[in-house]
Amino acid sequence: MQRTSWKSKATSSLFVLPYLLLFTVFLIAPIVYGVWISMHEWDLLNPVKEFVGLKNYLNIFDSDSYLHNLFFEGLKNTFLFVIFSVPLLVAVGLGLALLLNALPKKLTGIFRTAYFIPYSVSVSIVAIIWLWIFDTNSGLINQYLQKVGFSAIPWLTDTPWAWVSIIIATLWWTIGFNMVIFTNALNEVSEELYEAGSLDGANRWQTFIHITLPTIKPTMLFVTLTSTIASFNIYGQPYLMTRGGPGTSTQVLLMNIVEEGFNQRQLGNAAAMSIMMALIMIIISLVQFRLTREKKEAMK
Amino acid sequence: MRNKGFKIFIVTIAVVIAIFFIAPLFWMMATSFKTDQEAFTSGLKWIPEVFTLENYTYSLSGGSDTPVFTWMSNSLFVGIIGTLIVLIVDTLAAYGLARLDVPFKKLLFGMFIGSLTIPWVITFLPLYMGFNQFGLLDTYAVLILPYSANAFGVFLLYQSFKAFPKELEEAAHLDGANKWQVFIKVALPSARPVIWTLAIFTFMSIYNDFLWPLLTTSSPDMRTITTGIAIMQQGSFVSSPGRLMALTAIATIPVILIFVMGQRSFIKGVTQTGIK
Repeated sequence: MQRTSWKSKATSSLFVLPYLLLFTVFLIAPIVYGVWISMHEWDLLNPVKEFVGLKNYLNIFDSDSYLHNLFFEGLKNTFLFVIFSVPLLVAVGLGLALLLNALPKKLTGIFRTAYFIPYSVSVSIVAIIWLWIFDTNSGLINQYLQKVGFSAIPWLTDTPWAWVSIIIATLWWTIGFNMVIFTNALNEVSEELYEAGSLDGANRWQTFIHITLPTIKPTMLFVTLTSTIASFNIYGQPYLMTRGGPGTSTQVLLMNIVEEGFNQRQLGNAAAMSIMMALIMIIISLVQFRLTREKKEAMK
Repeated sequence: MRNKGFKIFIVTIAVVIAIFFIAPLFWMMATSFKTDQEAFTSGLKWIPEVFTLENYTYSLSGGSDTPVFTWMSNSLFVGIIGTLIVLIVDTLAAYGLARLDVPFKKLLFGMFIGSLTIPWVITFLPLYMGFNQFGLLDTYAVLILPYSANAFGVFLLYQSFKAFPKELEEAAHLDGANKWQVFIKVALPSARPVIWTLAIFTFMSIYNDFLWPLLTTSSPDMRTITTGIAIMQQGSFVSSPGRLMALTAIATIPVILIFVMGQRSFIKGVTQTGIK
């Protein structure tokens, strides 16, 4: 008996083993290695890697160090993008889902496809298409603006327009995904609730606030969390559309990490910056999660 | 309440928004058929005045400078193999954790789920260093393997296997099937919709990834379509919107077609997996 159970456990373990192996090699090991690198003066060209403990982290918080500026300037720009893009990604995503729901059934499919199509292209294609549309001289938008008597807008070369352009392109690209998730959630709000609402004489707005919103709350949390994480990881759009400019105004944190690690070859600093960025993302996710949970409990 | 005026109003709004989503793609197509002179000067022509295929013939015969088909096949290869690895490894692990007597089950599952909160930014530098030390930069290995530790898939499949009725499994066991046979013949087919969704999610995220393939490949023949086009945009195509848009159209049209055909299962999958 003892022996069969041992054998059974062994075969069962074989199921988990391949994943555990990849998990260890491509996730756990890199994390440990990253922490190790971050505690060294790690110059790619210098064979001597000096152990410096937490010095790289302390430099990030030392306002006299260039690392401080590199990190917090980048973080500020990333935050700027997160703060403006996430509410739009959530609200417009929900708005489009509501619009699809209000359409005659025959038309829902075709409009959903139209709104969802840009999600299938990759970031470099998004950038190429929108660079051409935002082009100051031959771009589509400026030509229309000038035709109706406005002056051209420096979409990619001046603030705040550079961010406006990046956010418009990002919305165009990714909003379809959030919309689909919201559409599914809306379909699951039960008809009975709506009927009860209309019997009570609730209008559209009241139905939305008192019936729809509370029911799709878990979806709101999911979409907010995933959109926040995706927005924090922004890299391709500013890298390809504005090159971080004008000046360094769209130079996001991830760009600075890549710059410090790959162009300046200071891997110790870059690793410390990555770990700090990851910690900030984890904290923000936890706070968002907590806030929604507390609100739920307060409502009970 | 749903009177005719409201309906017309809603449809009008929907059409205006649809134009916002479709016009950029249409503009890309229009530009790809224009001569560069027309693209730069003639302005708002949604239909080219002089219709030219020169941009396409140039982009397709670009030779070693723009091996578009190599990039496309690289992207497809990396996406498909990466997805297959994730599917095989994740279904096995999820089934083991959900249904079998794996030692330290709780600990393992907790660890895997916990890893979902770890942002990817923490691993990319050390991963790069690791692949560099093994001389694996600029190979398919570096483009595929880092995506393989995908806990999201384990999580999705775990829920689906948990919900799967025990009786079916027991019946198969009574018929003399061993664990592997039960897994292949009974459990896997039951999870088909979730597996399909995971496949699409994984493929899209590998196919569309930008920073990782940009950092880890250097030779033109190892580029994926996403990074290859980005480099073209800053290189020899920079002064020719017509050629750039032709290149972009070549890379975009097949994906859009596949996507439009596959979106039904994708959307269905999102519902069935309970991402909400």
